[in-house]
Amino acid sequence: MERFERQLSRYAELIVKVGVNVQQGQDVFVASQIETAPLTRLVAAEAYKAGAANVYVDWADDTVSRLKYDYADPEVFRNFPAWETLKRNSFVERGACFISFVSSGPDVMKDVDPQRIGDYQKAAGAGLADYRRAVQSDKIAWTVAAAASEAWAQKVFPGDPADIAVEKLWLAIFDAVRLHADDPVAAWQAHDRALHDKVDWLNGLRLRKLHYKAAGTDLTVELPDRHVWVGASSRTPGGIPFMANMPTEEVFTAPRRDGVNGYVTSTKPLSYAGNLIDRFKLTFEQGRIVGVEAEEGEDILKRLVDTDEGSHYLGEMALVPHRSPISESNILFYNTLFDENASNHFAIGSGYAFNVEGGKTMSQEELAASGVNTSITHVDFMVGSAEMDIDGILEDGTIVPVFRHGNWA
Amino acid sequence: MSEFERDMSKYAELIVKIGANVQKGQEVYISSQIEGAPLARLVVEHAYKAGASNVVVDWADDTLTRLKYDHASPDVFSKFPEWEKMRRNGVVEREGCFIFLNSSNPDLLSGVDPKKIGDSQKAAGEALVVYRQATAADKIAWTIAASATKAWAAKVFPGESAELSVRKLWQAIFDAVRLHAEDPVDNWRRHDADLHARAAWLNEKRFSKLHYRAPGTDLTIGLPKRHLWMTAGGTRPDGIGFMKNMPTEEVFTVPHRDGANGYVSSSKPLNYGGALIDRFKLTFENGRIVGVEAEEGEAMLKQIVETDEGSHYLGEVALVPHRSPISNSNILFYNTLFDENASNHLAIGLGFPFTIEGGKTMSPEELKAEGVNSSLTHVDFMIGTADMDIDGIMEDGTVVPVFRGGNWAY
Repeated sequence: MERFERQLSRYAELIVKVGVNVQQGQDVFVASQIETAPLTRLVAAEAYKAGAANVYVDWADDTVSRLKYDYADPEVFRNFPAWETLKRNSFVERGACFISFVSSGPDVMKDVDPQRIGDYQKAAGAGLADYRRAVQSDKIAWTVAAAASEAWAQKVFPGDPADIAVEKLWLAIFDAVRLHADDPVAAWQAHDRALHDKVDWLNGLRLRKLHYKAAGTDLTVELPDRHVWVGASSRTPGGIPFMANMPTEEVFTAPRRDGVNGYVTSTKPLSYAGNLIDRFKLTFEQGRIVGVEAEEGEDILKRLVDTDEGSHYLGEMALVPHRSPISESNILFYNTLFDENASNHFAIGSGYAFNVEGGKTMSQEELAASGVNTSITHVDFMVGSAEMDIDGILEDGTIVPVFRHGNWA
Repeated sequence: MSEFERDMSKYAELIVKIGANVQKGQEVYISSQIEGAPLARLVVEHAYKAGASNVVVDWADDTLTRLKYDHASPDVFSKFPEWEKMRRNGVVEREGCFIFLNSSNPDLLSGVDPKKIGDSQKAAGEALVVYRQATAADKIAWTIAASATKAWAAKVFPGESAELSVRKLWQAIFDAVRLHAEDPVDNWRRHDADLHARAAWLNEKRFSKLHYRAPGTDLTIGLPKRHLWMTAGGTRPDGIGFMKNMPTEEVFTVPHRDGANGYVSSSKPLNYGGALIDRFKLTFENGRIVGVEAEEGEAMLKQIVETDEGSHYLGEVALVPHRSPISNSNILFYNTLFDENASNHLAIGLGFPFTIEGGKTMSPEELKAEGVNSSLTHVDFMIGTADMDIDGIMEDGTVVPVFRGGNWAY
């Protein structure tokens, strides 16, 4: 077997075993672009080897999607098909695990009418609400992993011919997911423990708020009383561990919905719904976004913030050292899965139920009462930089340095 | 744009304009192998250009299908997903059209347990009743056209490199769908008219029986009193025409359920859900299949005949001259869409309501009373040869030559 094929096959195994941790008799739902079929087929084969009862692949094609955005009837974007909702929910009900491959070019939907994008995001958010809740409360095992496509690779390596760019992107993905360790599965277990140590330290501190300082950023973020920091592997209610993101370098919790004040400036471009948003600044008052400015994609960013009431608030805050394998690769991936693991970040929109004590079994109302935001959307954006300092502030006002110059203090 | 790319785009346009005849504001459902993406994307583009409101592509992948048959839990095959039924029925309700880009790999399921294939076909048949009735009664527009893949091309042109065989298969498909005519869209309209004239002649004769003779074949097939000879050109209730198969060379009708007697031998292999059945003979008594023999794939063939009660009877009889563009190419396509249009054929199972006068609005009981067979399945098989003679026998016993030496006798 060619070296590349061997690596692709090891990667597929990692996704099946560490990512979703497929169980005997389980259904597996895979979302993939048709362009990345070689990886997806290997994942299906590995999943059956691990005992999957049925592997369903939900294929998509950016060319067809783009044609739709350009030519379909505007009504189409406002109606999320009921069968799509039923499909997703029926897999959730059967306890399936979900593998989502990200591979799209960051600007495949460039110049599409933002109204259509906004409408569709809203409709899909509502149509997939049950699925999203299951994901955000760890009811099901899920993982997001990457697959290289031509459009994406050419954005990341613009000077190279298409085939070279794709090859380089695959190698960067393999590096980021620690595929080159002798025993990648063992390497992931060690990495998982290291992130859990950070989580334990932060949870022991019981911080009241965090204060972010960097050029263009002066932001105070309060934490819910019963906030929980989490990172790396999660567990289903049945106790099955899984890795929601591959790669992952972050530890994160939920900010208090109404406890965010100040301003924050992005440090990496954000690819949202096939459009690039870059060099933007958000201003907050009592949690609510009251100012939106962007040098690129401001219209799309404003639509994102206007998705629903909850999209005016933050749902996640994540700490990632500036010194990390992805960060050190010095590659700008134009892809949240990678860029969020190379940089401190926040998410606009819904918070994760598991970020407050007992949250997984709380109703939406109880979650809101404990300070966790709800929304039909959840979009990460990067704020970390080499000069960022973050202070932790305890209940009694004591200041604990958490980050200095972009890294763990 | 290369000549090949231009041909591909013309082909996509033909599928949209002649095949499904996409209307302004209409929803379009396309099924395609992911390997067939270049054609599928062009069909999507032409459909939007024709005014489609929304185009949904249902992608499939033979590699995954095979993995599933080999490794999935056996109970997966007897269940058809509710959401999939909902998706199909939704397109029917909104009067959308269906475009099936067919690129079957004839050996895809070779060696797979026939029970799994049978379960899966049966589950789909039962779940998609509404959809099936709508297509069978011409309520909605649909078309089946071909898309070349490596596996299919390798079967048709063994010994060639993958690249060359795929290219040759595309050329064969383009030839078969008359793409190289000056104005392919107009040429198709004329071809449609020619086939209609054949059907009109047969309808005027009102044969009560057909008698088939060839080596290995001596079969009499009774026709229902109110049978109608049809072509692949369909018409929706609102008058919008469409072409169910591209290519198409056949005129066909429904046999009387109880009227087949004698025996018939296959003249081409039958590809069923990816499994191959070859050199087989069926024996009939009063319409019912009482004997099944096959040199290859006998178990699969028996499985088809055992699907339900109706699968023991015939549902279609089709006349195709031995001299036709597909037949003249001398290529064995291992694909019903092509091989049925190079050969006289019959179908086991469901008879189409539109092949009987007033049939589109008849209840299942009325159809049965007219002699139209019903079944969950409908499988074509080829029987035509260069030496086949067919006589039409009229009510009063008059014998009219219909086919002589494999071709139309008039």
